[in-house]
Amino acid sequence: MAKTLRDKLVPYTFVLPALLLLALFSLIPIFIALIISFTGLDITGLGDWSQIKFIGLQNYTQLFHDSAFLQSILNTGYYVVIGVPLVILLSLTVAILINFGQNRFFRFMRLVFYTPSITNTVAVAVVWTYMYNPSMGLLNNLFGKIGMGPFPWLSDPATAKISLIILAVWKAIGLNMLIFLAALQGIPESLYEAAELDGAGWWQQTRHITLPSLSFSIFFVTVTTLIGWFQFFDEPFVMTKGGPLNSTNSVALFVYQNGFQNSNFGYAAAGSFIMFAAIILATLVQFKLQKKQQGL
Amino acid sequence: MINGNKSAVRNGKVAVGAILLFWGVITILPFLWMFLSSFKSNAEISQATQNFLPNHWTFDNYKRLFVDSNFGVYLKNTLIITLFSFLGMLLNAMAGYGFAKFKFKGRGPLFILVLATMMIPGQVTMIPVYLILNEMHLTNTLAGIILPGLVGAFAIFLFRQFMSNISNSIIEAARLDGASEWYIFWHIIIPISKPVLAVQGILTFIGGWNAFLWPLIIANDQKYYTLSVGLQLLQGQHTSDYGLQMAGSSFMVIPIVIIFIIFQKYILQGFNVQAEK
Amino acid sequence: MKLTKWLGISAAAVAAALLLVGCGNSNNSSSGSNGKSITFWYGGDADTAVKPMVDAFTKKTGIKVKIQSIPWSQYNDKLLTAAASKSGPDLVLMGTTGMANYVSSKSLMDISKEVKSDKNISPDKYFEGSVRTTEFNGKYYAVPWYVETRVLYYRKDLLKQVGYNEAPKTWDELYDAATKLSKRGKNMYGFNVDFAEPTFGFMFARQNGATLIKGKTPQFNKKPTVEALEYLAQFYKNGASPKQDLKLTIGQSFGGKAPIPMFISGPWMMASVKKDAGLKDDQWGVAVLPKGKDNNMSNTGGGNLAVFNYSKNKSSAMKLLKYLSTESSQLKYYKNSDSMPTLKSAWTDKSLSDSRIQVFRKQLNSSEPMPLIKQWDQIGQNYLKAWEPVAMQGANVQKAMDQLNSQTEQLLNK
Repeated sequence: MAKTLRDKLVPYTFVLPALLLLALFSLIPIFIALIISFTGLDITGLGDWSQIKFIGLQNYTQLFHDSAFLQSILNTGYYVVIGVPLVILLSLTVAILINFGQNRFFRFMRLVFYTPSITNTVAVAVVWTYMYNPSMGLLNNLFGKIGMGPFPWLSDPATAKISLIILAVWKAIGLNMLIFLAALQGIPESLYEAAELDGAGWWQQTRHITLPSLSFSIFFVTVTTLIGWFQFFDEPFVMTKGGPLNSTNSVALFVYQNGFQNSNFGYAAAGSFIMFAAIILATLVQFKLQKKQQGL
Repeated sequence: MINGNKSAVRNGKVAVGAILLFWGVITILPFLWMFLSSFKSNAEISQATQNFLPNHWTFDNYKRLFVDSNFGVYLKNTLIITLFSFLGMLLNAMAGYGFAKFKFKGRGPLFILVLATMMIPGQVTMIPVYLILNEMHLTNTLAGIILPGLVGAFAIFLFRQFMSNISNSIIEAARLDGASEWYIFWHIIIPISKPVLAVQGILTFIGGWNAFLWPLIIANDQKYYTLSVGLQLLQGQHTSDYGLQMAGSSFMVIPIVIIFIIFQKYILQGFNVQAEK
Repeated sequence: MKLTKWLGISAAAVAAALLLVGCGNSNNSSSGSNGKSITFWYGGDADTAVKPMVDAFTKKTGIKVKIQSIPWSQYNDKLLTAAASKSGPDLVLMGTTGMANYVSSKSLMDISKEVKSDKNISPDKYFEGSVRTTEFNGKYYAVPWYVETRVLYYRKDLLKQVGYNEAPKTWDELYDAATKLSKRGKNMYGFNVDFAEPTFGFMFARQNGATLIKGKTPQFNKKPTVEALEYLAQFYKNGASPKQDLKLTIGQSFGGKAPIPMFISGPWMMASVKKDAGLKDDQWGVAVLPKGKDNNMSNTGGGNLAVFNYSKNKSSAMKLLKYLSTESSQLKYYKNSDSMPTLKSAWTDKSLSDSRIQVFRKQLNSSEPMPLIKQWDQIGQNYLKAWEPVAMQGANVQKAMDQLNSQTEQLLNK
């Protein structure tokens, strides 16, 4: 069937409205930010554009000599390596458990696991600050009752990172669980029935039917979670401001501190493009892995 | 799963239920605390030892929420913004479908471009976006508040992922019957996509409902403020009113919970739709 | 199809809302060109604090004022976009610490002429520390509106138990009292050496006779600063101050047994202590800061009123500025919001006669802002980072300050 010009244009009518808006409010600003990253733009330059100086790659070279930035890269790497698998594993587990039953209790549990995702950040910060409070917090009180702790939740550099990861995982499970759940319910019942006839147990069904059918969703959740953790911001911002001893500072928070607190917009933009490169790299690896898996 | 040993299945269910219940209690604990704290006075929240339940129940925080601030106006704006974000959801669905089911020139690079927009933190692009809106004379308008967040890469990605799972044969069959592409989209694709629409619907609602930064940055008039901005206004420069924050946050969560319960049905229906005949 | 119907309804609603937007637009453009209407940006909720005063101004002059309340947490973001787009309010409330930034971005109007010609807003009527936040290179860019200074909050009853009938008056007394108070038990301290506050160490350094920055050369690694910081580090070493931010609310830290019975803070803490700490009136007090080797200088903050440089209604904005700067306006503002007046003459009013409030008055005689340069915020953040290892791990003060000093030198000469 020969395609007419009209047929050729149809796909574009579907994608164009979204693309135009994205171009205007995301791509062009990103491009502007890229240019800014080669300048020494600060508050003076913001008010008077003639004061903006092009400084080439200076921001970038300076970043790699900035110990605070290097540490924020290490911290972010830590968050990604621990956080991403944890989120995927736990939200998948919850989704499979919830999918076990269809009655009111299981439906109610969906809501329960989803609530952290919809709770206002300010309230989350206040509540968790209290939970993590070293002497009067709920967690140390509970652990104290069973003879453990007290734990320095937010005051010890190594523990603080873990504490923030716990909080972020707590928030992230809900949304990803929903994505997995929606996919789980899309698996035809007939597959399980056939497996049942073959005498496959629950675990074998999970391994040979459920997980393979979820490969798309797992890929999706991996990519978006990866990007989310690379941009890890809210939790250190509201809970620790990057401390103690810079141990919880993330690249995104570093960018924010330099851009909006210190008004070094050029420097901040350069930092975010280094992060941008890292995210693209990680995402491309994911896409490659996904293709490979499909090829098998 | 029904044909097997029934009591074993039931035992398994009870065990799973027990695990879920334990895990769920831990999950919802901070949330419950927030809700219960909204009925405590600020003085009580500030005390060294706190009980889980308020010592003295008070609705004072909620009263102040509505009396001391223009929550009525904020509510209206929030609803309008939320409504618009559903238009954005449709655009996202269209784009997702386009990327999933059509082959056209530049599809790969364009999709990568879409994904790339996800990878730059919003703080970096905020000032450029503002300058663009200013050039378009859209600052201090509802349109200016709504447009920047209307479409999102995450949503397009989500739609594409789900829609590429839809079997091509259905679409081809409809085409042979002479259906137009738009007819196919509206009458075949959208109904099949209910589960993803439900998920997206909730996300869209939450996004619109919590809209904060843009309404504040774009508005030069309090008549465009949203609930989140109003809530933030109640914070002092140096001190915070915890009780009021808790009440405001609790109040904002309730509609989302209701919406979630409604959409939950659609997720279940989606389960039926997906089963091929 | 239920869902498609629902989608249809929402599409129709969206279309209706679009019409609304159109209306909003036209309303907006018609009011913009009117010279008799100005915009005033205010940090926090303006409804109770300034609206009544501004309404009275409109009644008197016929100039309409639109007040926009902006949450403090986003105030700077909002000002940045205004500075970048060269459009924004007519009159703006500026935090004193933001002044250097927005003067350097040329966002604030030079009002030297008005300040010099109008006796009512003449600089000599205000506290010197406040005036210094409005003057840059000999020009005035704002008029001081409310002032904040930091004083010592202390638990009278607990200090009495360790032999202090009055608040400590010198560094030695402060150290002695804090050490004794910290011996009350586990998790009990004497004084909070605040390490979330970027001005804290610098304030003590000035009390020890330090000049913080000479020209473009920071003096952080010189003896007066290092000595002061070593004095503060001593509180951590002997357990008189917590080594970390305990994240306590005021009731937890200062009420009851008071793990932290002494701390330094500003006037905003008064209401919190009164309302939330659960203390009787004779259990706590405030006092001027203990004297160091040189003085007991505190840190001035607060807010100034400035005319936005890109305003098209500068004369109307200036009228509102002057109206809000009268003694009766400042007193009304104090009544509505507890923000203390910058006019020295206002302090004889009986509404400020409370003995605790008068402590702030006394402290204002010895109070100055931190250096007013646009890099100061960043220097403050760097200081906090340098200070953290000292507090937590007992790192060497001299070394930490050597590093901060060279870092700052680089920053200032960029």
